[in-house]
Parts: sequence; structure tokens; C-alpha cells
Amino acid sequence: MQRSFIAKNPSVLIFLAILALFTLLVTVMSEGFGVGGISTSFIKTLGKTLCLCLIALAMDLIWGYTGILSLGHFAFFGLGGYMIGMWLMYERTRLIVVDSLANAEIPPTDGEVIDAIGNQIFGVVGSSDFPLIWAFADSLTIQLALVLLVPGLLALIFGWLAFRSRVTGVYLSILTQAMTLALALYLFQNDSGLRGNNGLSGLQNLPGVTASQDYVSLWFFWASAAALGAGYVLCAWLVSGKFGSVIRGIRDNEARARFLGYSVETYKLVIFTLTACIAAIAGALYYPQAGIINPAEIAPIASIYLAVWVAIGGRGRLYGAVIGAAFVSLLSTWFTGGQAPDVNLGFYTIKWVDWWLVLLGLSFVLVTLFAPKGIGGLIDILSDRRAAKEASQ
Amino acid sequence: MRQLFLAGLAFLAACLISPGLGQAQTAAAIQPILQDHQALIVKSSRKTIGPAIDAVAASGLPQAQTVLEVWAAKNMWQRKSDGLFFIGEKIDSKTYALTDFDSGESVGEFAKSELKQLKPNSGIRALIGTALVQFQLSDPNIEARRAALLSIERDPEASLLAPLRASIEAESDPALKAQKQRLERLLTIGYDSDEAARLAAIADMAGDLGVDVRATLNPLLTTKRDVVAGSVPEGANIAAILTPGQGDFDRLSAYDMLVAKDLAPVRISQADIRSELAAHIEGARVGGVPVAKLNTEGNRLTAYTALAEAGAVPAFVTDTAIDAALAAHTFFDAYLEPSEAVTDAAAQALKDIELKVGLNQTLDLTLDALSLASIYFLAAIGLAITFGVMGVINMAHGEFIMMGAYTGYVVQQIIPDHTLSIIVAIPTAFAVTFAAGVAMERLVIRWLQARPLETLLATFGISIALQQLAKNIFGTQARPLTAPGWLDGAWVMNDVVSISYIRIAIFILALIFLAVFLYIMKRTRLGLETRAVTQNPRMAASMGINPDRVNMLTFGLGSGIAGIAGVAIGLFAKVTSELGSDYIVQSFMTVVVGGVGNIWGTLAGAAMIGFLQKGIEWMNPSNTLAAQTYMIIFIIIFIQFRPRGIIALKGRAAGD
Repeated sequence: MQRSFIAKNPSVLIFLAILALFTLLVTVMSEGFGVGGISTSFIKTLGKTLCLCLIALAMDLIWGYTGILSLGHFAFFGLGGYMIGMWLMYERTRLIVVDSLANAEIPPTDGEVIDAIGNQIFGVVGSSDFPLIWAFADSLTIQLALVLLVPGLLALIFGWLAFRSRVTGVYLSILTQAMTLALALYLFQNDSGLRGNNGLSGLQNLPGVTASQDYVSLWFFWASAAALGAGYVLCAWLVSGKFGSVIRGIRDNEARARFLGYSVETYKLVIFTLTACIAAIAGALYYPQAGIINPAEIAPIASIYLAVWVAIGGRGRLYGAVIGAAFVSLLSTWFTGGQAPDVNLGFYTIKWVDWWLVLLGLSFVLVTLFAPKGIGGLIDILSDRRAAKEASQ
Repeated sequence: MRQLFLAGLAFLAACLISPGLGQAQTAAAIQPILQDHQALIVKSSRKTIGPAIDAVAASGLPQAQTVLEVWAAKNMWQRKSDGLFFIGEKIDSKTYALTDFDSGESVGEFAKSELKQLKPNSGIRALIGTALVQFQLSDPNIEARRAALLSIERDPEASLLAPLRASIEAESDPALKAQKQRLERLLTIGYDSDEAARLAAIADMAGDLGVDVRATLNPLLTTKRDVVAGSVPEGANIAAILTPGQGDFDRLSAYDMLVAKDLAPVRISQADIRSELAAHIEGARVGGVPVAKLNTEGNRLTAYTALAEAGAVPAFVTDTAIDAALAAHTFFDAYLEPSEAVTDAAAQALKDIELKVGLNQTLDLTLDALSLASIYFLAAIGLAITFGVMGVINMAHGEFIMMGAYTGYVVQQIIPDHTLSIIVAIPTAFAVTFAAGVAMERLVIRWLQARPLETLLATFGISIALQQLAKNIFGTQARPLTAPGWLDGAWVMNDVVSISYIRIAIFILALIFLAVFLYIMKRTRLGLETRAVTQNPRMAASMGINPDRVNMLTFGLGSGIAGIAGVAIGLFAKVTSELGSDYIVQSFMTVVVGGVGNIWGTLAGAAMIGFLQKGIEWMNPSNTLAAQTYMIIFIIIFIQFRPRGIIALKGRAAGD
């Protein structure tokens, strides 16, 4: 008999419950709607962390379940951010320009408005014309569609090229890393049409919305939580069905899966493109909370950190990825933000701002060596113990 | 040889004749010439001084040089009593000793109040300097002649041509004589009044790669854009007749030229319309159009036309009017140089030179690419051992390169002599990174042998930690690793092709590494054992080889080579904690593109990436970022067609 989806994934309900509780708690403690125990900037940090959890889910799907170590998923994350950022920046600049031209003696023509927006946005890279890629920047609907289409298409083309020629294992990892490096280098140019290394800024302001950041930050927090919840359910549903069995089969023995008649390349391409789209959504939610996006965000090291989170959290299990991303990125913020107390050894004072990366790097090595299951492994030990207790009773 | 002989003869002749000349000249005095131009000299104005300087310079007297030098140095004094000029020498603040120019004898001491100092301004001193050049060109001191030649090169002038020509014959130094002859040709091209001589000179210099030749020829082809009503004027040396709207000569700038020459009425731009409309608002309407409706260009034009009809603003110039005005005039580029024969010859010569320059640039680019390829090869060769031979992916490879560079820096702090410190640094860097590599292999990699993806991640962790550690120890600013003095400078083949010695050294180092690698792999016990363990570890073990030990040593070797590469790279790049990560992706590309497990493949990969990058940079020189982007995209596509690299292993050794 077919077991129900929930029965197969008991973690889904627990996860959704925890997420809902957490969201409620944060809302109650917020400055916008609640008693004000949590600062707006920390709510933004939490919202961003939820987005990182979402991309970690995508990473877990592609790496933990399919066995493809992609070192380029932050490229899709960044592209998603750029796509939504284009609309945010265009629309906000347009409102400012229209506002400032409203007091002129003669009403502005459409051409003049567009010229002025172009000047505002691209003046910093010594240009004032809109590049072709901004053609749809005035339409929120199209840009929202592009959030999925552009990274999805890139993933589709790249994946098709890579999987078709049977590039696997570490080669694929290096190739994905090269892809994100190429994209970052391209975006660093001033004539890339996306403002070079200045990136897009002022994204935290929603055009036409006068509410203070106290509220806007919560809206984005809720949206991030909803996206994470939906993403978790989607991923759980995917990996618990036949599709999930096939991709795990590919992970464990690709040749055997192929000989059993499964089109390995198609499965890989689907999962690669799907995770790219999830990453793009996460990015589109992340950067309006961060307020700024620039090509440095896409640098290869970001995608490596993503792999680090998933590995520390425990790959091959969805909650592991979420735990890893939340735990490591929050810890990282705490240490590098200068909030962690320095350790005085008498002869030397350990400043965590300087030593956190050393600690992270080494603990990553230790996790890889001694705890390949990551933090998620701890939960295994607990549930094993309980199962053993039940069995003994 | 014959030239030398002739020069010797000329020198002898000069020695024999000169005493006679000297006697004849002492009889003539320069003072009368100075007195002839006394008024001009005393007036001391750049505009009028010319004849006086020319008279002195052209006198042919040996004292002329002294006079000019003394004059320029502000040491010439005039005696107020009789107006004669002398060399003044300060005795004390109120007394000066005067010396006669002609006799060279002192004429006594005078109070300052009886004298007047001549203070030529900088303009006059420049004129005197030019006049002096002819003397300096034949100065017995070779350094003075060289300096004079240099000053002509820097600041060529028509007046210098004659003295330069005159000085060539008597030049004794063959190198300097050749230089003089070359300069004479160039000055002839630029300034000779005889057209035939200029053409001959251009023909002489055609095909010469020197920057100076191009710098002489290019100004001849300077054009001035002009416009006239009707057809082209007679006698103008026309370079091209232009049609507005074709090429990069657009209609509006053509029309602006007409406006600038008052041949057409001023064009009214959108901005002009806007400001005129704003100035003529009457009761929320302009020219009958409500202000609120002025948000389209059409409505604005209607309002403006209404204003123009009322005579309030100048009439709008329509497109048809612009076209008519453009059609009625001829636009052309005319050479500033009037002689057509000269401009044609110069253009032809430049074309020949451009071709040659192009060929030489290709050569230069090839050298550049070769040097870049050897850098990539250096960075990748250690990786070729650890990744290519052992199949271990080491993401901390870049950090080993960085470690080597920092070792070089530390050694240089202890041993200040650059040559010695590099000699010490190379083995030290090898030792340090060898030890680090062995430690890493023992502690981490050995435990992850069957799991390549996890090796990748663990070594990434080490890479992150090492990079931050370097930042903590050495700070974020770049540390210098100075090359020894004998590596400074560049090997210059001509004005186009040159390559710095340090790049040659790196090229040689890459060759040495290649040889060492081949020797170790093919001729030593370690190489044999490594190859055996690579192909079949269990079989190798049963033949008495200790695979653990071999893996450890091989990994150490690969890391040690990375350390030496780090010293080499540190010599020309800045030593920072990011040094390694700058090279890691390219290094992996090199190994993967070349083909894993084969040193020749790595060589081919490095060559391909180096040449490719330089080639793309050449096509788009302003943008090295774009070059890297396109290169990576190219490699991604290349992998499609040769997934196993340029040189792929076949059969069982290929493995997976």
C-alpha cells in the first residue's frame, strides 16, 4: 500500500511547525508589530538566514541527493538578486526622478524621464544609456519571471553542455566553479550593463511603499519563511517519490542507473535546473533585505561556503542543510561582527574577527574527516537510541 | 673599417688645419658684432633678439660659443661707460671682475654700479640654446655631442637641420655618427624646404620600426576638417571628401560645423525648445498650448512653432532645412602639409611600417603569451603531480604557492642581498611546502582516499584556514619580494618587441621544472614506484612497494614544487594572502584542459590558456576582465569536445 507523503516524511510537519513557531516568535518580538525585543537589523539578518537556508536546501538536493557537487549555485542566487534588483532600482529611481521633475515649469516628456533615470543609475559607470538587458526593468511581472527564467536558462544550457559530455565528479565541480568565476568577472566590468563593481544598491526600499523598514523587514521575513517552508515541502516531496529514488540511485552508482534504463543526463539536468531556480528565488528574497548586490557576492568562495554549510549540517537530509546554513551563517555573523568576546591567552589575544575563518576551515576539515553526516548525524544518534530503547522494552 | 680609417684621416686633417684657423680667427673680434646689435641685446626681448643671436652664431668665431654660453648663464655684463660687453665674475657683492671675450684677458675690476647685467628670460635662453646646439654638435667632448643630439631629438626644429648636417661629416664616433645621420633624415622629412629631399628621406626611412620615425611621419598626415560652400578649394591637399551621415561623421556634427562657420542658422535642440518654452509661459499656456500638455515632443514643437511665428523665438530648423544646408556644402579633410607628393609618400611609408609593426607585435604577443603560459605551467605543475598522477584534488594548492612566496619574503627579511636570498629562498620554500604537503597528506588526504569530492572539500577547509592564517600573520597589505638587480630591465629587440628578464627567467624555470619532472618520473626509483602505485596500488604493494610512503613523497614533491613556483610568481606579482586563490582556478583549468595524468598535457594546457588569454586581450586590450571571462567560457565549451583534455590517457590507465 502506498504510504502518504507525510507518513514518509515525518520531518516535514516538525519542520513546518518549528518554522511557524519561529516566525510567530520573531513577529511578536519585532519592533514593527510586536513588543520590540529584536532590532530591525537583526530581523533582516534572520530573514537573510532563511534565504540562505533555502539555497542550502537546493544545494542539498543537488549534492546530498544527486551527488553533483556544484560549486556554482551562488551564481544563480546572485542572478536572481540582480533580476529583482533591476526592477527595484529602476522603479525607485523613476519615482525619485518623476518627483523631482514634477516641480519643473514644463512637464517632462517620457524621453526626458528615461534619460534622467539612465543618468541616475548609470552615471556611476560613466554612461547614461540603458543597456538592452534593462529592456523590461519597468515591469515587475516580467522581472519576476526573469528571476526564474535567466538563472534557469543558464543552468539549463550549462547543465546540458556539461552532462551531455559526461563531465562528472571533481571535473564538474571545477567547471561549475569556472562558470561562477566567469560570471563574476563579467559582472565586474563596467560595461556589463549592471553597474560593474558598484552593483545595484538601495534595494531595501520598496518603490511606492512609505512604510518604515520596521515593517518592510518583517514582510520580507515572512516571505522568506514562506518560501523556505514551500521549498522544504517541495524538496521533501521530490526526494520521497520515485524521482528521489532515481537521483539517489544516480548518486550511488551512475553507471548502474544508466544500465537500468534511466536517462541519467535528463534527471541530472532537471535537478540542476530546478535547484538553480530555487537558488534564484532565495537570491531574489535575500538581496532586497541585504540592500545591495555586487559581483563579489558571486565570487567562487561564496559557493564554497554553501558547500561548507551543507556539509557541516549534514547532507543527504533536508533538515541537515537547513540546520547547517542557519547555524554556520549565524555563527559567522556573530564572530565576524565583532560581538564574540576575545580570548586572552596571556601571551596572545585571540580576536575572533581574525581567527573565525581559521576555526571554520579547520572544523570543516574535522567534520569531513570524522563526521561525514554533520550535525544531522547527532539527530540520527538520538533517534537510534530511542529506537533501541523502544526495541528493548 | 674603411669608415674608421676615413674618420681617422679626417681627424688628422682637422688637427693639422686647426692651428692655422685658430690664428686667423684670433684676429677677428666678436665685440664689434655684439656692438652692432647692442640695442637688441640690451632690450632683451624674445621677439626681437633673433638677429643678434644669429649674427653671433653665424660669425664663425670660436668665441661665439663662449659668448652664447656666458649670455645664457646670465654672466654677461655691459660696461655702462662705453657699452662694451664682458664676462663678469663676482668678487664680492659690490665688485665684479670683467674679462674680454676676444682676448680672454681680464680688463680689471669694476663696481657693480658701473655695470649692467644682461638677464635673458627663459624664452631668449631657449633661442640661445638652439643656437648653441651647432657648437655642441661639434664639441670635442663626446658627452656634450650626445646631449646635444638628445635635445634635438626631444625638441626638433627646422633651424637645427643645417647645423646637424654640417656636423655629420666631422663626427669621429661611428655610433654617434649613425645616430646623427638618422636624426638628419628625420629632420629632413619634417623640415627640409626641398620636396625631393624630403621624398628621398621618407623613402630612406620606410620600413623602419623606430617610434621616432612614426612620430615624424604621423604629424605629416595631420588633417583638419573643413567645410566650404560649393566645391573643394583649389590648391588644398585633400585627404578625403566627407559625406555627412556616413561613417563616424554624423549629420548633426556636420551641421554644427556649418553653424560654427556662420554658414547656417543655429539648430534648435530639444533642450533649447524646453528652455524657450519655459521662458514664454503666459497664463498656463505657451503659444496657445496648455502647459500641462507639453509632455510630448510633438506638442512642444507645435507650441514652439507658434512662438516662432509670433517672432518671439528664432525659427525652428527643420530636418529638410538641415539636409539642404548639408547638400549645399562640401565637407573635407585637408592635410596641413601642402605637398601632395609628401603626404602620399608618408602615407605609403606608414602603411609599410604598420605592416612591419604588426608582424613584430605578433612576435611580441607570442613572447607575452609564452611567458604567461610558463607562469600557468609553473602554477599547475605541482597540481599535475598531485591531481594528475595521484588523482588527489588539492584545493589548497594555491595556498602552497602563497606559502612559497611568503617564505621568499621572510628569507629576504633575514638575508638582505637579493641574489643570495633568492638562492636560499628556493630550497627553503621547497622544504617548507614539502613539509606542509606531507603533513596534509598524513593527516587528512590519506583518510579520504576513495572519496575525491570529500578530499576537495577538506582541502578547501585547509585552504580557507591557511589563507586567513597568512592574513593574520602578514596582514592584508601586499608584501614585496624583490627580484635581484640583474633581473631588472628588459631584453629590447626593437621599439616594438621587448620582454623583461624576469619573464625570461620564469620561462627558463618552467623548462627546468619540466626537465626535473620528467627525470624524476622516468629515471628515478621514486618515479617508477609512483607510476606503479598510480596504475595499480595493490599490485605495487605486493611487489614490495610501500604505497603509503610513495603517496606521501609524491604529494610532498607536488607541494614543494608549488612552493618554488610561489617564489617565482612572488617576484613579479604582489605577495598577498590571495595570491594562491588568484591562480587556483586557472591551474585546475590548465590540468583539466591539458589532460589529467600527463605532463605534456599540462604543458599543452598551459600553452593553450596562455595564448588564448593573450589573444583575447589583444582583440580587446582595454578589458582584461572580459578576456578572462571569454577564456573560461571557451574552456567550458572546449571540455564539451574533449572531456578528457587535449592529451587523453587511453585504456586502463584512464580509469575514472
